[in-house]
Amino acid sequence: FLHLRGHKTLRKHCTEKYHNITTWTSKLCLFFPISTQTCHTELHAGQYYTLPPAHMRTLFPHGLPPRFQMQMKTFNEACVMVRQPALELITCLRKADYSEPALRYVLYGEKGCGKTLSLCHVLHFCSTQGWLVLHIPDAHLWVKNCRELLPSSSRPGRFDQPIQALNWLKNFKTTNEHFLSKIKTTQRYVWTKRESTEEGRPLGELVDQGVSRVKSSSDVVGALLRELRLQAGGAAEGAFRLAVAVDGVNALWGKTTLKKEDKSEVLPEELTLIHNLRKMLRNDWCGGAILTTLSQTGSLFKPRSAYLPMELLGEEGFDNMDPFVPIPVSNYSDKEFESCYLYYLDRNWLQHPHSRTEDGKKELIFLSSRNPSILERLCAFL
Amino acid sequence: MVASIANLLKPWTPRLCAVRWSRYNPYYLEPETDKDVYKIPDTELSPEQKEEKELKTTRPIKAAATSITSSPFNDPVISKFINMMMQDGNKVLAREIMTQTLETIKRKQVEKYHRAPAAEKEAIECNPYTIFQQAIENCKPVIGLASIQKGGKNYQVPIPLKDSRRRFLAMKWMITECRENKHRRTHMYEKLSQELLSAFTNEGNVIKRKHDLHKMAEANRAYAHYRWW
Repeated sequence: FLHLRGHKTLRKHCTEKYHNITTWTSKLCLFFPISTQTCHTELHAGQYYTLPPAHMRTLFPHGLPPRFQMQMKTFNEACVMVRQPALELITCLRKADYSEPALRYVLYGEKGCGKTLSLCHVLHFCSTQGWLVLHIPDAHLWVKNCRELLPSSSRPGRFDQPIQALNWLKNFKTTNEHFLSKIKTTQRYVWTKRESTEEGRPLGELVDQGVSRVKSSSDVVGALLRELRLQAGGAAEGAFRLAVAVDGVNALWGKTTLKKEDKSEVLPEELTLIHNLRKMLRNDWCGGAILTTLSQTGSLFKPRSAYLPMELLGEEGFDNMDPFVPIPVSNYSDKEFESCYLYYLDRNWLQHPHSRTEDGKKELIFLSSRNPSILERLCAFL
Repeated sequence: MVASIANLLKPWTPRLCAVRWSRYNPYYLEPETDKDVYKIPDTELSPEQKEEKELKTTRPIKAAATSITSSPFNDPVISKFINMMMQDGNKVLAREIMTQTLETIKRKQVEKYHRAPAAEKEAIECNPYTIFQQAIENCKPVIGLASIQKGGKNYQVPIPLKDSRRRFLAMKWMITECRENKHRRTHMYEKLSQELLSAFTNEGNVIKRKHDLHKMAEANRAYAHYRWW
């Protein structure tokens, strides 16, 4: 997968194609596609790197923002900018001690700053290091718009969400195929009178049980999370590190829009999936890291201007998540904006003749105020 | 004389609302929104342009519309199309549809560009603005028909069209085609982008309608002398 474009060939490619853009020769360092993950340091900040397509299919069946997926389809490649918050997170993960309880990291920032993409970048790093990746793409999807809310078969007063659990299990299976045969269950799980999973069976069987029997899929998710929690970072030879990534973690402690049959509101802790996920986010297990993102976009009953952890998580959420490592994600700096602009030029995306001039660039900076998502939406029709 | 002109300067409200958009007194001049026009130094102006500039110092000028900007990104053809697509004064929605259309056209073309071999890359046009302009150009009819009554009977007489009328017809056909003849469940921007891309290559229903009009005009050539203007 090492598709490393050499320095000299890139320069030649540039000077042939873009004679008018004088910034190329001087700012060549800004757009130097590198694919080797492990050598990302501060030197590479602001540069783009290409994610190999095979990795994209397995790692991210469900995690990427929809506009980024459209961009991937158009440009026929997946290029992510290396930015300061992601670099910080990667250095923390490298230096952390995994015999201690798991550290919680929270990426926060204004709307459209690049929190989800930074999380995806870090997850790619984790998977190249051989970690087991547990990615919940958007926790808000579990607390709203649920068509089927079944009362839980195992516990009274809890509600199951079979469709969401099923989708998630399928995606989990695609991401972590190679781990499913290695990890064994430590306990016997009884699903119904006739079905049970014995102790010592591979995890793959547990996942298949959830996929085939849709009614018990939420309980299967709970069992899966429990198994992974117990076995991550163990001293055994089959030890693995666990990366729990939750996008939109403020959904777990907010309100839901789901209603019971007597029209009373469902609290988040009454949902099996949310309850088990909250147990996962407690730092009482070792051998991994918990990477989360706050998100106002899908959140319920929160104002649009809220982006700080205290505002979005609320009292209860903050107390549960405390202590955590907050990592702010901000708009593009000058260098990053340059890099993004040059990337769009290279990919033949900025078509309007005025947008290729200096004045046009200043207009873009002014209109988008260097916000990544607004810039992307502006450049889409220019 | 000055007093009568000053009378004209007060906001003039019509007694009968005859024509839309004529609220401004005809004494007022159109604003010039293009920044580059003001950057030309006095020495390079032709005598007519100098006269116009002199006139603008003395006469009042209409307020510029909110939909136009002084930025080079502003395109009068696109603005006209947005206004024609607008329903019930919902300019926000019409603009949103237009930008989504331009984005869809660009995405399709850039995707084709990236997947094509190097030899064909030059031939693929990726700029959605040029595609839009060219498509509308291709849809403009050259000759139109007017209904003229002669001897108690109405005849369809071929007549030359003004440039504004041609542009109006092209855009109107494009919008009605996309609204009526396409599948109900597709979005307007998808329908528009498909139709514009096919018009760019001289295919599609709008081009067919233009050709039908030309054929009718050719068929009714004999009545051309009924036109008196």
